[in-house]
Amino acid sequence: MSSKPLIEMKSIHKVYPDGTVALRGVDFELYRGEVVGLLGENGAGKTTLMKILSGLLPPTSGEIYYDGRKVHFRNPSDALKLGIGMVHQYFALVPPFTALENILLGQEKAGRLSPPDLKRARERIQALMEETGLTVPLDTPIELLSAGVQQRVEILKVLYRGTEVLILDEPTSYLTPLEVEELFKIMRNLKAQGKAIVFITHKLREVMEISDRIQVLRNGVVTGKLPTSEATFEKLAIMMVGKEVIPQAVRSEAEPGEPILKVKDLYVMSDFGTMAVKGVSFEVRAGEIFGIAGVEGNGQSELVQAITGLRRPLKGEIWIKDHNVTALGPRQLYALGLSHIPEDKSKFGLAMNFDLAENSILSRQWEPQFAGAFGRLNWDNILKFADRLVKSFNVVAPGLRTPVRSLSGGNQQRLLVGRELSKEPSLIVAAHPTRGLDIASTVYIRELLIKMRDAGKAVLLVSADLDEILELSDRIAVMYEGEFLGEGKIGQFAREEIGMMMGGVKLKK
Amino acid sequence: MKLLQGLRPILESLLAVILGLLAGSILMMFFKYQPAEAYIALFKGSFGTLGDILETLAFAVPIMLTAITFALGVRAGLFNIGAEGQMYLGAIGAVAVAGLLHLPPVLHVLAATLAGMIAGALWSLIPALLKVWRGVHEVISTIMFNWIAYHFSIYLAIYFLAQPGRAERTVPALPTARYPVLMEGSTLTAAIFAALVFCLFIYFYLWGTRSGYELRLVGENPHAARYAGASAKKVIMISFILGGMAAGLAGASQIIGRPPAWSLYATLGNVYGLGFDGIGVALIGRNHPLGGILAAILYGALQHGGRYMEYQAGVDSEMVRAINGIIIVALSIPELWAIIKRRIKR
Repeated sequence: MSSKPLIEMKSIHKVYPDGTVALRGVDFELYRGEVVGLLGENGAGKTTLMKILSGLLPPTSGEIYYDGRKVHFRNPSDALKLGIGMVHQYFALVPPFTALENILLGQEKAGRLSPPDLKRARERIQALMEETGLTVPLDTPIELLSAGVQQRVEILKVLYRGTEVLILDEPTSYLTPLEVEELFKIMRNLKAQGKAIVFITHKLREVMEISDRIQVLRNGVVTGKLPTSEATFEKLAIMMVGKEVIPQAVRSEAEPGEPILKVKDLYVMSDFGTMAVKGVSFEVRAGEIFGIAGVEGNGQSELVQAITGLRRPLKGEIWIKDHNVTALGPRQLYALGLSHIPEDKSKFGLAMNFDLAENSILSRQWEPQFAGAFGRLNWDNILKFADRLVKSFNVVAPGLRTPVRSLSGGNQQRLLVGRELSKEPSLIVAAHPTRGLDIASTVYIRELLIKMRDAGKAVLLVSADLDEILELSDRIAVMYEGEFLGEGKIGQFAREEIGMMMGGVKLKK
Repeated sequence: MKLLQGLRPILESLLAVILGLLAGSILMMFFKYQPAEAYIALFKGSFGTLGDILETLAFAVPIMLTAITFALGVRAGLFNIGAEGQMYLGAIGAVAVAGLLHLPPVLHVLAATLAGMIAGALWSLIPALLKVWRGVHEVISTIMFNWIAYHFSIYLAIYFLAQPGRAERTVPALPTARYPVLMEGSTLTAAIFAALVFCLFIYFYLWGTRSGYELRLVGENPHAARYAGASAKKVIMISFILGGMAAGLAGASQIIGRPPAWSLYATLGNVYGLGFDGIGVALIGRNHPLGGILAAILYGALQHGGRYMEYQAGVDSEMVRAINGIIIVALSIPELWAIIKRRIKR
């Protein structure tokens, strides 16, 4: 390791156009021949910082130095010219193209009309593969390769452009343990060749294993910078999630009744063909809020979709009261008293170009009060109902016939939550119910969920916001790579212990 | 504000008409015609006398129906361009019942109308099932089915439905199966009422029933539709079948509701293109059944009035068609743009 950093980022600020503050004055440096672990929860700003370094995003303010020289990137190719390349969490490969074609994409050294010189390119790539240990079948279409091999192609794609600084964003998300070991071997190899590597992750074990130094971000601020040799799981967890105790919302002690939702040994596949939920079992009782904490992408979405009838589980059972609902669709589940506040309101929960009245009956359009004989819509009732929702849930809207697209995010969510909670449900599944909302709406929706609990409903809350989980839940579980690492009453775990489980470290208690 | 929002599509369309007319004038000036004179002829020709108005409406009847076929597809998130073929089969169905069966007067009209609608719906059923079962894209299947329908219909017209001694056309609809002509000498018949009723029915269906709500929901946001418990497969079937009925009725209207032929030409010459015209008209009408009626009348005006441009203002017929085309394209742009935007977003 040389004494002068290869890359220095100074006082980087980033404010997104929608007003979200992602980075609040972050310093970051990187030396040749080292692996730096960039650790943090969702929304901590890890990816944003590295997108700025790779030229994908402009910083709002702050400076970047390369080899002591101030640089300014207008786009990713500016950064690539200096040898800075990023492998993103979601692969950007063309499925029917071969690995070779994907690596060469955009790099063909040929005239517009003459064929690229594949033979020379192949030789160069083969040499690169031998040098780095990144072997891939060059002539197989990408779609036939496993996630681990696809990732190698992504890395080769970046290295082929002469990269000195390699940024890997959550590279182990879709890999099997064996593939992770192989990736680490390659990373060590690249390090030995003098390349600098940034490893973005939320996984504590992995960062401890592979990095030389660790930098922790939380809410866009650097909360820790230390050599890996001095790090412990506890230290890192505190840096990642903080130590302060979040006061529980003012309310009475939970008086849980009979179990409403029972999940038994559930397995669910993801869209990528990997097992997203691996044998999860739990119960949610009437009159309690059960919170599932965890960094996003650890199987929570698939779990929620399985429970709400949007995704068929592979194995296991789901029961609502006395009904085995494992194979039922959304409509039948709603009839059994399910309310679902989905994780992405503009995708699942609302039809943005439909007006407010039409959205007020979405997922309830079959109820007799809205659809009469021959499926005729009763617009009088629908408008009355929409008006009631608007008034009782404080939705600010110009009118009932305005498209919900023109409402603010907070008002859209109030409409959606109002619609779901007014169903007289016995089970409420709420996924990230306050993500991206203003403070007033956030407080309001959290109060509503507690009111529901006090009214004897069973509430399953899934959130990547640890504060929200701690504030609302009576019992919690921490989900990591498709499994529950810990489950118990609130107060049983210290904040940093939850942070450790979110990072994949099992407690020894 | 609210009024303005409601008027916006109409204002947009008006602007598009003006732009289209301007573009047409530039084209005409380039070839040394008199745009003002030509447009006056166009307007007088289409709306100048009662007879002209009726003729314009007669042109509008089949187009407002084939526009519905396309509009129902778009509303359900489909690109159903099979109206042409479904319309041929509708014409065949109507010829068979109207020309070969002997039924009492009113019943015969009803039976022939229904036969056309059913034939159109049956023809749309295969692409619909292919889509639902095997995920075959509707653009591919409906284009192919248009060609199959074209040759199949000619075959049926020549070998099974031909009028003895008249190779160029099928047996005519018997007088009992004909919609009454509304005014002596005009080609507008009571078939226009059947078309209007169908358009109104679709309007009521889309905005007044749960099934129509779910159809629009699937087209607007398939994820939200799944969340709401609406079946996309059911919606695809309904959209295709109702669309096929509309196209079938359009075909039938040209057999039992359009003098002087009262029959299908063996070249399909008196129905050819009506299905494709419906696509542009649906876009002009913002994929709304009522908007489609207005757009179809405009289209009828261009078709009928265009003939006057030719012999009053001396504009060549090819030029008339080019100008009509420009106006149609200009008018389709707002809705086409909206559809493209939606597709990109997904």
